[in-house]
Amino acid sequence: MNRVLEDVINKNAANTERITAENTLGYVVSDNTSGNVAATSFDNTSAQGIVKHMNILLAGLVQSAVRDLDPSNSLCYLRVLTRKFEYLVAPEELFTITVIQ
Amino acid sequence: MSAEVEEMLKRFQNVKNIIGIVIADYDGIPIKTTLENVQSVHLACHMHLLTEKARQVILDLDATNEFVSMRMRTSYFEMILMPSDNYFIVVLQNPGD
Repeated sequence: MNRVLEDVINKNAANTERITAENTLGYVVSDNTSGNVAATSFDNTSAQGIVKHMNILLAGLVQSAVRDLDPSNSLCYLRVLTRKFEYLVAPEELFTITVIQ
Repeated sequence: MSAEVEEMLKRFQNVKNIIGIVIADYDGIPIKTTLENVQSVHLACHMHLLTEKARQVILDLDATNEFVSMRMRTSYFEMILMPSDNYFIVVLQNPGD
């Protein structure tokens, strides 16, 4: 599973460069099944905190709320706006990408 | 004040992509809605839980930061949730793209 993830990350390196060159603060890519951080531009402790809270907890909660309202529906992405910045969370099957801008 | 609110609701309802608007009070009970009653109560209940959790999450990540709003894009539509002091607003719209 992690090797698949690493492949994907390597293939998308150009995209990652472009995203981080724009007005973003950083990104975190995490593995869905284990909750481990696969790639990040932050330091490890804050990245893990972000993954634990944002990716797993909040995105999971929104996904279950969406499914509860309509079982055929499912979350595509989530944008959480706060005072200081915005979190863009994109859950996929295998992994979740979070960008902070 | 209520007349202004009604007018704003009507105005937004006529915007092309909007499916519905729910304004709910502090406890998650809808006070004004353009959807059916059952649906809006269901929606408001879930959104109420979500605002509480989202507020906690943001506070946990950074104590000086504050949760402002959240956009949830699903396969069929997009929900915009915006909490305020005494109430919260949920707007459902067709994303158009």
